[in-house]
Amino acid sequence: MRKTVSVYGLTLSMPMLLWQLIFFLAPLIFLIALSFWTVRNFRMEPDFNPGNWSRMLGRSVFWEAYFRTLLLSASAAIVTSALAFPASYAIAFKLSDTARRWAIFLMVIPFFTSYLVRVYSWQIFLSDNGIINAALGYVGLGPWPMLNSTFGTMIGYLTLSLPLVVLLQLFSLIFVDRTLVEAAHNLRCGRLRTVFEVVVPAARVGLTIAALFCFILTFGDFVSPLYLGGGDPPTLSILITDTTKSGQQWPRAAVVALVMIATLLVIAFAAVRFAYKERGR
Amino acid sequence: MSDLSSSSGTRRHFLKGATTLAGGVLATPFLSRRAFAQPVELTMLAWYGHAEPDVVAAFEAEHNVKFKPKYYTGGDNMLGLIAQSPPGTFDVILSDAEYVQQLNAAGYIEELDPEDYHFNEYFPEFQQFPGHWQDGKLFSVLTRFGFLGVAYNTDALTEAEASSYNVYWSEKLTGKVGHFDWHLPNLGQISLLQGNPSPYDIDEDAWDALQEKMMTLRPQIGGFFDYGGTFSSLQNGQMLAMAGIGDWITGTLEKNGAKVRSVIPEEGGLQWTESFSIGKGSAKADLAKQWIQYITSAQGQVKSATMAAYPALIPNRAGWELLATEDPAEAKRQGMVLDDPNNAVEMIRKGRIQYRQLPVQQSLEDWNDFWSDYKGA
Amino acid sequence: MSDDINRSAPVEWSLRAYLLLTFAFVFAPIAASFVFSFNVDRFPSLPLGGFSLTWYQQVAADPLVWEGLRNTLVAGITVSVLATALGFGAAYTDFRYNFFGKSLYLALALLPPTIPVVILGLAMLAFLANIGLSGAIHSVIIAHVVMCAPFAMAIIRLRLSQMDPSLEAAAWNLGASQWVAMRHVIIPFCRPAIFAALFITMAVSFDEFAVSWFVSGLNETLPVKVLGFLQGQVSPKINVIGTFVFLTSMTLVILAQILLMKRGTGGKAGQ
Repeated sequence: MRKTVSVYGLTLSMPMLLWQLIFFLAPLIFLIALSFWTVRNFRMEPDFNPGNWSRMLGRSVFWEAYFRTLLLSASAAIVTSALAFPASYAIAFKLSDTARRWAIFLMVIPFFTSYLVRVYSWQIFLSDNGIINAALGYVGLGPWPMLNSTFGTMIGYLTLSLPLVVLLQLFSLIFVDRTLVEAAHNLRCGRLRTVFEVVVPAARVGLTIAALFCFILTFGDFVSPLYLGGGDPPTLSILITDTTKSGQQWPRAAVVALVMIATLLVIAFAAVRFAYKERGR
Repeated sequence: MSDLSSSSGTRRHFLKGATTLAGGVLATPFLSRRAFAQPVELTMLAWYGHAEPDVVAAFEAEHNVKFKPKYYTGGDNMLGLIAQSPPGTFDVILSDAEYVQQLNAAGYIEELDPEDYHFNEYFPEFQQFPGHWQDGKLFSVLTRFGFLGVAYNTDALTEAEASSYNVYWSEKLTGKVGHFDWHLPNLGQISLLQGNPSPYDIDEDAWDALQEKMMTLRPQIGGFFDYGGTFSSLQNGQMLAMAGIGDWITGTLEKNGAKVRSVIPEEGGLQWTESFSIGKGSAKADLAKQWIQYITSAQGQVKSATMAAYPALIPNRAGWELLATEDPAEAKRQGMVLDDPNNAVEMIRKGRIQYRQLPVQQSLEDWNDFWSDYKGA
Repeated sequence: MSDDINRSAPVEWSLRAYLLLTFAFVFAPIAASFVFSFNVDRFPSLPLGGFSLTWYQQVAADPLVWEGLRNTLVAGITVSVLATALGFGAAYTDFRYNFFGKSLYLALALLPPTIPVVILGLAMLAFLANIGLSGAIHSVIIAHVVMCAPFAMAIIRLRLSQMDPSLEAAAWNLGASQWVAMRHVIIPFCRPAIFAALFITMAVSFDEFAVSWFVSGLNETLPVKVLGFLQGQVSPKINVIGTFVFLTSMTLVILAQILLMKRGTGGKAGQ
């Protein structure tokens, strides 16, 4: 690999760097500075006050919400990946080219519909007097409470990330070398074993990145926990909105945000490193 | 406003609507040639619905104005938005009384001249409303208000049962009580239940007692909801009672056929208040003033009381009179009939209503921190 | 694939059935929203109140909704092009080069999606207002490119990881300059990823409401309007707008598919 700086290299690498430096770095630094500001008379004043950090990190509510959100997002990543895999596998391996194109097309569509509207619409299905419970009622099964619970939140997370996870998994699965699969079958490897020992490792990058995206998206989302989970118990994202209701307490909210950012950064780096473990692949 | 009768004439309606739209589009070049002056744009920062045609159309037509609204979904987002926007972005600002204090303390609103407004037509209780005045100077004009009490599903509870905050603890409501997700009205209601004469001005002991009592309610709670969630939960029966709200939500639901109502319990109710102010640095302060004059005049007050987004009570006595002639059913429903001994103002005078305000002896943060702890419990 | 031992009809069919179930799950709320947009009742409930087009009329008659749609489209298309371009450059840089400060470069490029949107919205507004770029469509474009470029970068980087690096070296050895190799080797290889990035960044921008609420000020985009309705006036107008957006984007995607098929090479699924 060349190490000299060239116009070619710079043209490709600089735009992203410049854009983020100009439009992102400043807000980011502002955010960090904001976490040290004081709020006086409902007005934020520049200050160097570590009190926001000590107060926020000292509250048990914060840590409960932190670990709860971590657990929820990790579960979402695992559950979504697991639920998405058979679907993406089916699209990649079991459909004809035309069918595959249509399947991808159909998977992309939900992206473009409003997530808010979709979550709002789920309430019609999940409420005690909703569609699903009405159908259950027909066969004599009692109403199952699905809304305002972790189950509701999970449905919301699935709505948010399932299409994306399927597509990203698909991206890797499509390009898995079919000869590898054939070779495994020729060596009398059973179906399931082939999947787990040949296909999954070959598609590791896509599968990891998909799970990572799901984690990141659900970690910061407040729509699902609020509208389908009933805000009960609160996640970190809800905590941020709540903190601002303390009379313009954006500085304390910034503390929560920075902790979230740091966490996601660590996880993202670890995941990316795991995904691209062998250099040059 | 909107015709909700469906079956007969839907197609006619659709065709009518389509032709009107098409006609309007085709006629626009003619209209613009005829117009003498472009309408002046007035920006308004408010809760949803305050710049909709049902409220502003008459004013817009008369003064050749076009409102450009920015609707916010919470007072804190509103403050954050104003804080970071260039001064003068918003000409007219609508806010709850608690936020007026914050707006003023941070210097975001202009001083007003009381002579300009219809205070002489107001009921005496509203002429010098606390929080809108600072050192004898006026900063915001009270435009509408409403009461908060127990909101309940009429199929599940009778009015008698709902006439006490204790109903929230009722066994048949376990998991079916919801909170409007804001600490201020909810804590205020329980404070009233505790017997505090001034629910937001309580000492440390009373504050500790309030927190304890509140915690006992936690197992009953099914969820914490924002505006949209509150509507859905009450409407589809997911929640049978909702704390922290009043007629401003149930009135709208009632109008659409939902079986809900709000009642002021015997322990007393809370009052929310909305007012208009002029943004500091606004280039159209005169026009903004005219708007506030309009909305606080009798005609404007009637529009405000019957606003499609959410109804409210009005502080202008002349407005009550006009409403009684224009829409007597709504006047009766909301309790704005002058002769009625139980009308809204009488309730305030009898002491059954306390103003919702920022906590006095504790900091807002203390109350909010407790609310977060309560939610996470 | 001629592996008779491992092909079994029940497995094939259950996989296909599972796929259908997945689609059903994904489309259920969209279908429900479509149905309820015709409901005469203001609040969704069963059974349906009756058929009515009143909500469509109301939305169509609201000039602010049309303005919102226009803003959303303009922003979305601009954002997708810019973000994909930036993301491509960054992905290629990560793929090919090693340099001092590379970790920082990557961190800066990947950081934006990790920031909670409400806070990011406030921070971006504060910054943009200070340099006089807030309250307009370009504010939304700037903020969205910041947020979407990492997605584009991740997708293209994913695709690049599937490429044999010696392909590029081979092109150089055969006398191609770096630019030529880029045009004839890298870009064609990455084409499915580039298209995917274009669509996904546009979709992200299309639906983004939190940061937009802050930075767009008085010139709102459509998702901000939907948020406003959801938080201020619950009614089937929300469903109507959802359907509008759905149909608009379906049209765009269909157009794109047609364009792709015309070019002969098999779109995103092509190998």
